[in-house]
Amino acid sequence: MLTKHDLLQPLATLRGDAVVVTTMGVVRPWGKYSTSELDFASADSAMGHAADLALGIALAQPQRKVVCLNGDGSMLMTLGTLVTVAQSAATNFILFVIQNNTYEITGNQPVPGSGFVDFAAMARGAGFRETYVFDEAQDYAQHLPGILEGEGPTLVVVKVEPGTEGPLSRGVQEESHYLKPSLAESAHRLRKVLTSND
Amino acid sequence: MAQAALILQELKRCKVTDVIGLPDNSSSALLELLRQDHSIRLHSVTREGEAFALAAGLWVGGKHPLVLIQNTGLLESGDGLRGTLLRMRIPILCLVTYRGYAKTQGNSGSVPEKLNAEVLSRPELDSVALMTEPTLNAWGLPFDFLHTDDHVSKIPRVLAKAEERSSPTVLLVTRDMT
Repeated sequence: MLTKHDLLQPLATLRGDAVVVTTMGVVRPWGKYSTSELDFASADSAMGHAADLALGIALAQPQRKVVCLNGDGSMLMTLGTLVTVAQSAATNFILFVIQNNTYEITGNQPVPGSGFVDFAAMARGAGFRETYVFDEAQDYAQHLPGILEGEGPTLVVVKVEPGTEGPLSRGVQEESHYLKPSLAESAHRLRKVLTSND
Repeated sequence: MAQAALILQELKRCKVTDVIGLPDNSSSALLELLRQDHSIRLHSVTREGEAFALAAGLWVGGKHPLVLIQNTGLLESGDGLRGTLLRMRIPILCLVTYRGYAKTQGNSGSVPEKLNAEVLSRPELDSVALMTEPTLNAWGLPFDFLHTDDHVSKIPRVLAKAEERSSPTVLLVTRDMT
Protein backbone atom coordinates (compact mmCIF):
# COMPACT_ATOMS: atom_id res chain seq x y z
CA MET A 1 0.00 0.00 0.00
CA LEU A 2 1.36 3.45 -0.98
CA THR A 3 0.95 6.76 0.77
CA LYS A 4 -0.22 9.78 -1.23
CA HIS A 5 3.34 11.10 -0.98
CA ASP A 6 4.63 7.87 -2.59
CA LEU A 7 2.12 8.36 -5.39
CA LEU A 8 2.42 12.08 -6.05
CA GLN A 9 6.01 13.04 -5.43
CA PRO A 10 7.54 10.97 -8.27
CA LEU A 11 4.77 12.04 -10.62
CA ALA A 12 5.36 15.72 -9.82
CA THR A 13 9.06 15.24 -10.58
CA LEU A 14 8.50 13.46 -13.89
CA ARG A 15 5.32 14.99 -15.35
CA GLY A 16 7.16 17.49 -17.60
CA ASP A 17 4.64 19.48 -19.64
CA ALA A 18 1.82 17.02 -19.08
CA VAL A 19 -1.59 18.33 -18.11
CA VAL A 20 -2.56 16.84 -14.75
CA VAL A 21 -6.25 16.63 -13.85
CA THR A 22 -7.01 15.77 -10.23
CA THR A 23 -10.19 15.04 -8.34
CA MET A 24 -11.43 14.24 -4.84
CA GLY A 25 -8.89 13.03 -2.28
CA VAL A 26 -5.75 14.00 -4.19
CA VAL A 27 -6.76 17.54 -5.20
CA ARG A 28 -5.21 19.28 -2.20
CA PRO A 29 -2.25 16.88 -1.77
CA TRP A 30 -1.26 17.43 -5.44
CA GLY A 31 -1.28 21.18 -4.81
CA LYS A 32 1.54 20.65 -2.30
CA TYR A 33 3.80 19.15 -4.99
CA SER A 34 2.95 21.28 -7.99
CA THR A 35 2.10 24.87 -8.84
CA SER A 36 2.03 24.32 -12.59
CA GLU A 37 -0.40 26.25 -14.78
CA LEU A 38 -1.05 22.88 -16.43
CA ASP A 39 -2.80 21.53 -13.32
CA PHE A 40 -6.57 21.34 -13.29
CA ALA A 41 -8.72 20.40 -10.31
CA SER A 42 -11.99 18.74 -11.16
CA ALA A 43 -13.41 20.14 -7.93
CA ASP A 44 -16.72 21.94 -7.50
CA SER A 45 -17.56 20.18 -10.76
CA ALA A 46 -19.45 17.11 -11.94
CA MET A 47 -19.32 13.97 -9.83
CA GLY A 48 -17.36 11.18 -11.47
CA HIS A 49 -16.52 13.10 -14.63
CA ALA A 50 -12.84 13.92 -14.20
CA ALA A 51 -11.74 11.09 -16.49
CA ASP A 52 -13.95 12.02 -19.44
CA LEU A 53 -13.04 15.69 -19.03
CA ALA A 54 -9.35 14.79 -19.07
CA LEU A 55 -9.90 12.55 -22.08
CA GLY A 56 -11.33 15.52 -23.95
CA ILE A 57 -8.20 17.54 -23.22
CA ALA A 58 -6.04 14.64 -24.39
CA LEU A 59 -7.96 14.35 -27.66
CA ALA A 60 -7.67 18.08 -28.26
CA GLN A 61 -3.95 18.15 -27.41
CA PRO A 62 -2.52 14.96 -28.96
CA GLN A 63 1.07 16.25 -28.79
CA ARG A 64 0.91 16.52 -25.01
CA LYS A 65 0.53 13.88 -22.29
CA VAL A 66 -2.58 14.17 -20.15
CA VAL A 67 -2.68 12.46 -16.76
CA CYS A 68 -5.90 12.05 -14.80
CA LEU A 69 -5.70 11.20 -11.10
CA ASN A 70 -9.14 9.70 -10.62
CA GLY A 71 -10.58 8.13 -7.50
CA ASP A 72 -12.01 4.63 -7.28
CA GLY A 73 -15.43 5.94 -6.23
CA SER A 74 -15.36 8.41 -9.11
CA MET A 75 -14.35 5.70 -11.58
CA LEU A 76 -17.25 3.51 -10.46
CA MET A 77 -19.67 6.35 -11.24
CA THR A 78 -18.68 6.38 -14.91
CA LEU A 79 -17.36 2.93 -15.77
CA GLY A 80 -18.53 3.42 -19.35
CA THR A 81 -15.74 5.97 -19.70
CA LEU A 82 -13.27 3.08 -19.76
CA VAL A 83 -14.83 2.01 -23.05
CA THR A 84 -14.94 5.57 -24.36
CA VAL A 85 -11.25 6.02 -23.56
CA ALA A 86 -10.24 2.73 -25.15
CA GLN A 87 -12.28 3.46 -28.27
CA SER A 88 -10.75 6.91 -28.56
CA ALA A 89 -7.28 5.38 -28.76
CA ALA A 90 -5.84 8.50 -27.15
CA THR A 91 -2.23 7.40 -27.04
CA ASN A 92 -1.31 10.40 -24.86
CA PHE A 93 -3.79 9.62 -22.08
CA ILE A 94 -2.85 8.06 -18.75
CA LEU A 95 -5.70 7.34 -16.37
CA PHE A 96 -4.82 6.67 -12.75
CA VAL A 97 -7.35 5.04 -10.48
CA ILE A 98 -6.35 5.77 -6.91
CA GLN A 99 -7.81 2.86 -5.05
CA ASN A 100 -8.24 3.61 -1.36
CA ASN A 101 -11.55 1.74 -1.24
CA THR A 102 -13.33 4.67 0.39
CA TYR A 103 -15.18 7.86 -0.38
CA GLU A 104 -12.50 9.80 1.46
CA ILE A 105 -13.81 13.35 1.36
CA THR A 106 -17.23 12.39 2.68
CA GLY A 107 -15.79 10.54 5.65
CA ASN A 108 -14.18 7.38 4.29
CA GLN A 109 -17.33 5.36 3.78
CA PRO A 110 -16.50 2.17 1.83
CA VAL A 111 -17.05 2.27 -1.95
CA PRO A 112 -19.13 -0.57 -3.39
CA GLY A 113 -17.00 -3.58 -4.13
CA SER A 114 -14.09 -2.39 -2.03
CA GLY A 115 -11.66 -5.24 -1.56
CA PHE A 116 -12.56 -7.17 -4.70
CA VAL A 117 -13.15 -4.78 -7.61
CA ASP A 118 -10.42 -5.20 -10.23
CA PHE A 119 -10.15 -1.97 -12.23
CA ALA A 120 -7.26 -3.24 -14.34
CA ALA A 121 -9.29 -6.26 -15.45
CA MET A 122 -12.22 -4.00 -16.30
CA ALA A 123 -9.95 -1.70 -18.28
CA ARG A 124 -8.47 -4.63 -20.21
CA GLY A 125 -11.97 -5.86 -20.91
CA ALA A 126 -12.87 -2.39 -22.16
CA GLY A 127 -9.94 -2.46 -24.57
CA PHE A 128 -7.11 -0.56 -22.85
CA ARG A 129 -3.69 -1.17 -24.39
CA GLU A 130 -1.76 -0.99 -21.13
CA THR A 131 -2.73 -1.60 -17.52
CA TYR A 132 -0.65 -1.55 -14.35
CA VAL A 133 -1.40 -2.25 -10.71
CA PHE A 134 0.88 -1.03 -7.92
CA ASP A 135 0.66 -1.61 -4.21
CA GLU A 136 4.30 -0.99 -3.40
CA ALA A 137 6.08 2.38 -3.63
CA GLN A 138 9.41 1.26 -5.04
CA ASP A 139 7.82 -0.82 -7.79
CA TYR A 140 5.64 2.17 -8.74
CA ALA A 141 8.57 4.60 -8.77
CA GLN A 142 10.59 2.25 -10.98
CA HIS A 143 7.85 1.84 -13.57
CA LEU A 144 6.55 5.42 -13.63
CA PRO A 145 9.07 6.87 -16.13
CA GLY A 146 8.21 4.16 -18.66
CA ILE A 147 4.49 4.66 -18.12
CA LEU A 148 4.77 8.40 -18.73
CA GLU A 149 6.85 7.89 -21.87
CA GLY A 150 4.87 4.96 -23.22
CA GLU A 151 1.97 4.85 -25.61
CA GLY A 152 -1.53 4.69 -24.15
CA PRO A 153 -4.30 4.76 -23.40
CA THR A 154 -2.93 3.46 -20.13
CA LEU A 155 -4.69 2.61 -16.90
CA VAL A 156 -2.65 2.71 -13.70
CA VAL A 157 -4.25 1.40 -10.53
CA VAL A 158 -2.42 2.54 -7.41
CA LYS A 159 -3.48 1.16 -4.06
CA VAL A 160 -3.11 3.90 -1.47
CA GLU A 161 -3.90 4.32 2.19
CA PRO A 162 -7.11 6.22 2.90
CA GLY A 163 -6.47 9.79 4.01
CA THR A 164 -8.41 12.42 5.87
CA GLU A 165 -9.20 15.01 3.20
CA GLY A 166 -12.42 16.90 3.83
CA PRO A 167 -14.90 18.35 1.32
CA LEU A 168 -13.37 20.48 -1.43
CA SER A 169 -14.08 24.12 -2.05
CA ARG A 170 -12.71 26.91 -4.19
CA GLY A 171 -11.58 30.38 -3.20
CA VAL A 172 -8.87 32.29 -1.40
CA GLN A 173 -9.32 30.18 1.74
CA GLU A 174 -7.85 27.18 -0.12
CA GLU A 175 -4.06 26.78 -0.01
CA SER A 176 -3.70 24.98 -3.32
CA HIS A 177 -2.93 27.35 -6.17
CA TYR A 178 -5.45 25.74 -8.48
CA LEU A 179 -8.32 25.87 -6.00
CA LYS A 180 -8.17 29.64 -5.59
CA PRO A 181 -9.92 30.56 -8.87
CA SER A 182 -13.45 29.49 -9.68
CA LEU A 183 -13.98 26.41 -11.81
CA ALA A 184 -14.92 28.63 -14.75
CA GLU A 185 -11.78 30.74 -14.39
CA SER A 186 -9.66 27.60 -14.15
CA ALA A 187 -11.18 26.13 -17.30
CA HIS A 188 -10.79 29.33 -19.31
CA ARG A 189 -7.22 29.87 -18.07
CA LEU A 190 -6.16 26.37 -19.01
CA ARG A 191 -7.65 26.77 -22.48
CA LYS A 192 -5.66 29.97 -22.87
CA VAL A 193 -2.46 28.25 -21.79
CA LEU A 194 -3.05 25.25 -24.04
CA THR A 195 -3.86 27.36 -27.09
CA SER A 196 -1.27 30.08 -26.59
CA ASN A 197 1.05 28.54 -29.18
CA ASP A 198 -1.64 27.68 -31.73
CA MET B 1 -38.10 18.49 -40.82
CA ALA B 2 -34.49 19.48 -41.39
CA GLN B 3 -32.03 17.89 -43.74
CA ALA B 4 -28.99 16.47 -42.02
CA ALA B 5 -26.81 17.59 -44.93
CA LEU B 6 -27.81 21.22 -44.37
CA ILE B 7 -27.08 20.95 -40.67
CA LEU B 8 -23.67 19.41 -41.36
CA GLN B 9 -22.89 22.18 -43.84
CA GLU B 10 -23.77 24.79 -41.23
CA LEU B 11 -21.68 23.10 -38.55
CA LYS B 12 -18.70 23.17 -40.91
CA ARG B 13 -19.31 26.83 -41.66
CA CYS B 14 -19.33 27.51 -37.92
CA LYS B 15 -15.99 25.69 -37.59
CA VAL B 16 -17.32 23.00 -35.27
CA THR B 17 -14.42 20.58 -34.83
CA ASP B 18 -15.96 17.69 -32.89
CA VAL B 19 -19.39 16.19 -32.32
CA ILE B 20 -19.95 14.14 -29.19
CA GLY B 21 -23.06 12.10 -28.64
CA LEU B 22 -25.21 9.03 -28.63
CA PRO B 23 -27.39 7.87 -31.50
CA ASP B 24 -31.16 8.08 -31.61
CA ASN B 25 -33.67 7.79 -34.41
CA SER B 26 -34.02 11.54 -34.95
CA SER B 27 -30.32 12.20 -35.37
CA SER B 28 -29.31 9.01 -37.18
CA ALA B 29 -29.13 10.73 -40.59
CA LEU B 30 -26.71 13.36 -39.29
CA LEU B 31 -24.62 10.78 -37.48
CA GLU B 32 -24.39 8.73 -40.67
CA LEU B 33 -23.13 11.77 -42.58
CA LEU B 34 -20.62 12.53 -39.84
CA ARG B 35 -19.31 8.96 -40.00
CA GLN B 36 -18.70 9.36 -43.74
CA ASP B 37 -17.39 12.91 -43.62
CA HIS B 38 -14.21 13.11 -41.60
CA SER B 39 -13.87 16.88 -41.51
CA ILE B 40 -15.65 16.93 -38.13
CA ARG B 41 -14.50 14.34 -35.63
CA LEU B 42 -17.26 12.16 -34.16
CA HIS B 43 -16.97 10.78 -30.62
CA SER B 44 -19.36 8.13 -29.32
CA VAL B 45 -19.93 7.99 -25.58
CA THR B 46 -21.71 5.48 -23.37
CA ARG B 47 -23.96 7.95 -21.52
CA GLU B 48 -24.97 11.54 -22.06
CA GLY B 49 -23.29 12.92 -18.93
CA GLU B 50 -20.04 11.76 -20.44
CA ALA B 51 -20.79 13.76 -23.58
CA PHE B 52 -20.87 17.03 -21.64
CA ALA B 53 -17.64 16.30 -19.74
CA LEU B 54 -15.84 15.15 -22.89
CA ALA B 55 -17.05 18.26 -24.72
CA ALA B 56 -15.82 20.44 -21.86
CA GLY B 57 -12.39 18.81 -22.05
CA LEU B 58 -12.21 19.26 -25.80
CA TRP B 59 -13.09 22.93 -25.43
CA VAL B 60 -10.49 23.44 -22.69
CA GLY B 61 -8.01 21.82 -25.07
CA GLY B 62 -8.82 24.40 -27.73
CA LYS B 63 -11.49 22.72 -29.86
CA HIS B 64 -15.00 23.85 -30.80
CA PRO B 65 -17.18 20.85 -29.98
CA LEU B 66 -20.92 20.27 -30.23
CA VAL B 67 -23.06 17.84 -28.22
CA LEU B 68 -25.72 15.80 -30.03
CA ILE B 69 -28.12 13.87 -27.81
CA GLN B 70 -31.81 13.11 -27.27
CA ASN B 71 -33.92 14.80 -24.61
CA THR B 72 -34.13 11.52 -22.68
CA GLY B 73 -30.35 11.63 -22.30
CA LEU B 74 -30.47 15.30 -21.41
CA LEU B 75 -32.62 14.45 -18.40
CA GLU B 76 -30.21 11.69 -17.42
CA SER B 77 -27.19 13.93 -17.49
CA GLY B 78 -28.10 16.67 -15.02
CA ASP B 79 -24.99 16.75 -12.85
CA GLY B 80 -22.66 16.12 -15.78
CA LEU B 81 -24.05 19.17 -17.53
CA ARG B 82 -24.24 21.32 -14.41
CA GLY B 83 -20.72 20.55 -13.24
CA THR B 84 -19.03 21.00 -16.60
CA LEU B 85 -20.49 23.25 -19.29
CA LEU B 86 -22.61 25.36 -16.94
CA ARG B 87 -20.22 25.64 -14.01
CA MET B 88 -17.26 26.22 -16.35
CA ARG B 89 -19.19 28.71 -18.53
CA ILE B 90 -18.31 26.92 -21.73
CA PRO B 91 -19.99 28.28 -24.86
CA ILE B 92 -21.04 25.09 -26.58
CA LEU B 93 -24.08 24.35 -28.69
CA CYS B 94 -26.08 21.24 -27.78
CA LEU B 95 -28.38 19.83 -30.45
CA VAL B 96 -31.05 17.96 -28.51
CA THR B 97 -33.55 15.89 -30.43
CA TYR B 98 -37.02 16.28 -28.95
CA ARG B 99 -38.72 12.94 -28.46
CA GLY B 100 -42.45 13.35 -28.00
CA TYR B 101 -42.67 16.88 -29.35
CA ALA B 102 -45.33 16.01 -31.92
CA LYS B 103 -47.49 14.44 -29.24
CA THR B 104 -47.40 17.56 -27.14
CA GLN B 105 -48.43 19.62 -30.16
CA GLY B 106 -51.21 17.25 -31.13
CA ASN B 107 -52.59 17.37 -27.60
CA SER B 108 -51.82 21.00 -27.05
CA GLY B 109 -55.29 21.62 -25.67
CA SER B 110 -54.97 18.90 -23.08
CA VAL B 111 -51.34 19.17 -21.99
CA PRO B 112 -51.53 20.19 -18.36
CA GLU B 113 -49.50 23.15 -17.24
CA LYS B 114 -48.57 21.61 -13.92
CA LEU B 115 -46.56 18.43 -13.85
CA ASN B 116 -47.14 15.78 -11.23
CA ALA B 117 -47.06 12.00 -10.96
CA GLU B 118 -50.59 11.65 -12.27
CA VAL B 119 -49.80 13.66 -15.42
CA LEU B 120 -46.37 12.10 -15.97
CA SER B 121 -47.79 8.57 -15.85
CA ARG B 122 -50.53 9.13 -18.44
CA PRO B 123 -49.89 6.69 -21.31
CA GLU B 124 -51.12 9.09 -24.00
CA LEU B 125 -48.49 11.68 -23.05
CA ASP B 126 -44.71 11.36 -23.45
CA SER B 127 -43.36 12.39 -20.07
CA VAL B 128 -39.90 13.19 -21.43
CA ALA B 129 -41.43 15.75 -23.79
CA LEU B 130 -43.41 17.30 -20.96
CA MET B 131 -40.30 17.66 -18.83
CA THR B 132 -37.82 18.89 -21.43
CA GLU B 133 -38.55 22.61 -21.56
CA PRO B 134 -39.30 23.01 -17.81
CA THR B 135 -35.99 21.24 -17.09
CA LEU B 136 -34.03 23.50 -19.44
CA ASN B 137 -35.63 26.52 -17.80
CA ALA B 138 -34.85 25.20 -14.33
CA TRP B 139 -31.23 24.57 -15.30
CA GLY B 140 -30.85 28.07 -16.74
CA LEU B 141 -30.12 26.76 -20.22
CA PRO B 142 -31.30 29.05 -23.02
CA PHE B 143 -32.95 27.17 -25.89
CA ASP B 144 -34.47 27.65 -29.30
CA PHE B 145 -36.17 25.36 -31.83
CA LEU B 146 -35.02 23.80 -35.05
CA HIS B 147 -38.19 22.62 -36.81
CA THR B 148 -37.36 22.78 -40.51
CA ASP B 149 -34.63 23.53 -43.06
CA ASP B 150 -35.38 27.22 -42.68
CA HIS B 151 -34.24 27.08 -39.08
CA VAL B 152 -30.80 25.63 -39.81
CA SER B 153 -29.58 29.18 -40.23
CA LYS B 154 -30.23 29.69 -36.50
CA ILE B 155 -27.13 27.61 -35.71
CA PRO B 156 -24.56 30.41 -36.17
CA ARG B 157 -26.77 32.92 -34.35
CA VAL B 158 -27.27 30.60 -31.40
CA LEU B 159 -23.55 29.86 -31.30
CA ALA B 160 -22.73 33.55 -31.35
CA LYS B 161 -25.09 34.11 -28.42
CA ALA B 162 -23.46 31.26 -26.51
CA GLU B 163 -20.07 32.93 -27.04
CA GLU B 164 -21.46 36.28 -26.00
CA ARG B 165 -22.92 34.84 -22.78
CA SER B 166 -20.04 32.42 -22.29
CA SER B 167 -22.46 29.63 -21.54
CA PRO B 168 -23.88 26.56 -23.27
CA THR B 169 -27.08 26.77 -25.26
CA VAL B 170 -29.54 24.29 -26.70
CA LEU B 171 -31.28 23.90 -30.04
CA LEU B 172 -34.23 21.53 -29.75
CA VAL B 173 -34.61 19.51 -32.95
CA THR B 174 -38.32 18.76 -33.04
CA ARG B 175 -38.55 16.42 -36.04
CA ASP B 176 -36.46 13.57 -37.38
CA MET B 177 -33.55 14.72 -39.55
CA THR B 178 -33.66 13.38 -43.07
